[in-house]
Amino acid sequence: MTIFSTDHKVIGKQYIGLALFSVLLGIVLSLVMRFHLVHPDAKVKLFGALWPDGAPGGQMTPELYLSLMTIHGTIMVFFVLTTAPQSGFGNYFLPLQIGAHDMAFPVLNMLSFWTTALSLLTLLAAFFVEGGAPLSGWTAYPPLSGLGRITGPGQGLGQDLWILSIALFCVASLMAAINFIVTIIELRAPDMGYFDMPLTCWGWFVTALISLFAFAVLLAGGILLLLDRTAGTSFFVPGGLIVNDQIQTRSGGSPILFQHLFWFFGHPEVYIAILPGMGLISTILSTFSGKKVFGYKAMAIALLAIGGLGFVVWGHHMFISGMSPYSSIAFSVLTLAVGVPSAVKTFNWLATLWGGRLRFTAAMHFALGFVSIFITGGITGLILGQPGLDIYFHDTYFVVAHFHLIMGVAAIFAIFAGLHYWFPKMYGRFLHEGLGKLHFYMTFIGVYAVFVPLHFAGFVGNPRRYPDFKEYEFLKAVMPLHIGVTHAAYFLAAAQLIFLFNYFWSQRRGAAAPANPWGATTREWRDD
Amino acid sequence: MTNTARAGQTLLIAASSMFFAAFTSAMVVRRGLSGDWIAPPLPAWIWATMLLGPLASWLVQRGQIKSAMAAGAMLVASQLALLSNLRMAVIGEAFCAVLIAAHAAHAAAGVAALGRFGARAGLFWHFVGALWIYVLFLFGVWA
Repeated sequence: MTIFSTDHKVIGKQYIGLALFSVLLGIVLSLVMRFHLVHPDAKVKLFGALWPDGAPGGQMTPELYLSLMTIHGTIMVFFVLTTAPQSGFGNYFLPLQIGAHDMAFPVLNMLSFWTTALSLLTLLAAFFVEGGAPLSGWTAYPPLSGLGRITGPGQGLGQDLWILSIALFCVASLMAAINFIVTIIELRAPDMGYFDMPLTCWGWFVTALISLFAFAVLLAGGILLLLDRTAGTSFFVPGGLIVNDQIQTRSGGSPILFQHLFWFFGHPEVYIAILPGMGLISTILSTFSGKKVFGYKAMAIALLAIGGLGFVVWGHHMFISGMSPYSSIAFSVLTLAVGVPSAVKTFNWLATLWGGRLRFTAAMHFALGFVSIFITGGITGLILGQPGLDIYFHDTYFVVAHFHLIMGVAAIFAIFAGLHYWFPKMYGRFLHEGLGKLHFYMTFIGVYAVFVPLHFAGFVGNPRRYPDFKEYEFLKAVMPLHIGVTHAAYFLAAAQLIFLFNYFWSQRRGAAAPANPWGATTREWRDD
Repeated sequence: MTNTARAGQTLLIAASSMFFAAFTSAMVVRRGLSGDWIAPPLPAWIWATMLLGPLASWLVQRGQIKSAMAAGAMLVASQLALLSNLRMAVIGEAFCAVLIAAHAAHAAAGVAALGRFGARAGLFWHFVGALWIYVLFLFGVWA
């Protein structure tokens, strides 16, 4: 295995390795944040050593908390949820499943991975520059993100590096999207029509189409934001701003314009994260039910419908931006319409299980867990899709709970399901089933223990992005809930150590697997 | 040209179109939102560069790749000359600079692709030529 390999299997494993490193880092950052929320006055020597400016004497500043939140969100959204299900599994298995010898453009594929890796390094470099990492969240809203270091530590070079990192990621994703689409259109086996492809391929196909159109817009928005910061333009920075007693010499920019550009990418990004998982879960449920996927064509069309609708619902992230109520109604109706193809998929998954000879392997456990979490997270999406409710919930922990379930945890369950399912193909050995099931049950319980209570914190108006609740009288009542959530987060993180051990141990010591251990019908188990 | 190369270029064109559509929609919104819009001053000679893209396309079709690359390089040089006269603090000129710089990057990539792949990169070059006409009309007429 060479580092700069153009082999799709090697690149697939490289993407999975990058995502694994990223998710561990993201988990550590989230644990540090949860610790700070319940011990805001704690002095931790390690924090002081890691971040001398952000945690003087070991006590975390609010700015450092926001930096950790920004990098946690960015890492998880871009380098885990976007990377592993699409670029990781897709690179490895797409050519195998459609009977191609490799991706259409192998060199472009290699460049895409290394651009992604460079993007991650650029992002992490933000921790080590003067002022540290940026504070403006993974959405990087201006004017906070558009004015430079005057708005706080991390808003200088750290924010510049963040934008550069995202721009590199956009370029890498565009290269990958072109590669995936051309591979599917041009390199399918001659006997394989579009509606003969496994649903995994449909998931990767629709995700690549979404990426092609969405990342181009984010790249444009990022360039304009970087120019606002470095070239004195006023695309997004409004006039008349006074920051830290200094008048800003800009005129007429619109922060809302950036929100439109960002969310035109940002909502499809949710589907970029989850559609590959939907395809994969369909395949796994079918395999371990001993039945064909119920309503195959409807499932493929539902993937296309979700992908298409994803481009016309971005306004529901901006209900509180002051948009016209007529626009809100239009975005709300379109948002609720996403529920139709989503329900088609959910009921077809259940119909696939119905009457089947179910085999409860670890992969099947995670697939069923995906369906459970997709429903739980999806239902709260219907609540947030209504402007009247969203205006109350928007800046609360209800939103945090919702998007972690639907976008984060559901996609990660699909990744675990995929690793258990395809591990024998990737390494010739099984992941340990007993450890896999233990990991599943601990993770499943831990996930619900963390995120269900956060909905209740949202009900009482607990604001998100606050580093310290003790100053607010009305939040004292929810502190026991946050303490419980933090302990559940520790439990959830500990469960992932079981997976880590299983993943690396099984590569060398796992039971040897036959060529088609699950009795699957897709082509990757037949061909090398 | 192989089907793979044609499909790859078509998708690249789709992504580039989205990229320019994002800038265009941002410009339309930004212009309509505030009273500080001043149309960017374009020198008369820039209209002559409108012909360089189609000229290069014609040369590609005739197999004269080096001549096409020279025409493309002239287009990039004229864009760089124009960029040096635009002020980023004036919003109309800033949008003009962004779109011209984005196009120059595409044109430079197109010239490099012609050098590397010859006429097989022709489809992308035709798009680059048409895109320049769009950018010129956007600022010369609409803005």
